[in-house]
Amino acid sequence: MTDQAAELSCSACDAGIDRCEFCEETDCAKPVCYECMTVALGQVLRQPHVHGG
Amino acid sequence: MPQEIDRDEVRRHLDRGAQLVEVLPANEYEEDHLPGAINLPLRRLEAEARDVLDRGRPVVVYCWDSA
Amino acid sequence: MYDYVTGKLDWLAAGLPSEGTNAERPRAGDVARSDVPTCQMDERLGDVRERVRAAGWEACVVVNEERVVLGLLRSKELEANPELRIEEAMRPGPSTFRPFVSVDEMATFMIEHDLESAPITTSDGRLVGLLKREDAARVALELRQAERTEPKDRGRP
Repeated sequence: MTDQAAELSCSACDAGIDRCEFCEETDCAKPVCYECMTVALGQVLRQPHVHGG
Repeated sequence: MPQEIDRDEVRRHLDRGAQLVEVLPANEYEEDHLPGAINLPLRRLEAEARDVLDRGRPVVVYCWDSA
Repeated sequence: MYDYVTGKLDWLAAGLPSEGTNAERPRAGDVARSDVPTCQMDERLGDVRERVRAAGWEACVVVNEERVVLGLLRSKELEANPELRIEEAMRPGPSTFRPFVSVDEMATFMIEHDLESAPITTSDGRLVGLLKREDAARVALELRQAERTEPKDRGRP
């Protein structure tokens, strides 16, 4: 048997995902990937941005 | 080259009177910044630092993260 | 000159105070319930369920000795075989959220995803509290009502 491709897609960026990263469910109606979730919640600053390092 | 420091060292420097500078754009600074930090976006840092900062006190700069 | 390399994200994720427009809005860490029951992996589910319900809760966070979150027991997990050990019954490695995330955003997500509760932790995984959907929604609603009735309603026309 071949491996099945991920059936879920992130509702924000369309990336294939195994489960919704917010609720951890595989049958979520509005699944979201980790990156889109953390950007939406403000835990990550979306690139590009002016960096001071 | 600035010396890299962590959060605990930031707090120690602040206790000793260091100046905090956020180098992100103004809208990012307005939403959230460390207490007492001033905003000098990176592209203006070199030009304005002399006028805005106190040369007698150490300066701690920061961005959003290390990315 | 010194460079605080890990920056603002590190500072906020540690739950330290900040200034700015976001700082005036309620955050997940402010609304999360720090009195959420906790348990350890080797406990018996039946014992934990009894303790949790006696405290008036339907959720319990599984932590280690340093209060680092290892798992979560929501209503569904609490209903399992009482003889199970917590390690077997829990949802391991749950999604966790930082204290500085806005309650408004969390409420929206929790309602859209039908999530009854969400663990709020510091960046090193230590439990701050459990954010309940009803609390997040209530605070978000109060905030929107307050914003709607601000400056415009001065006196009568």
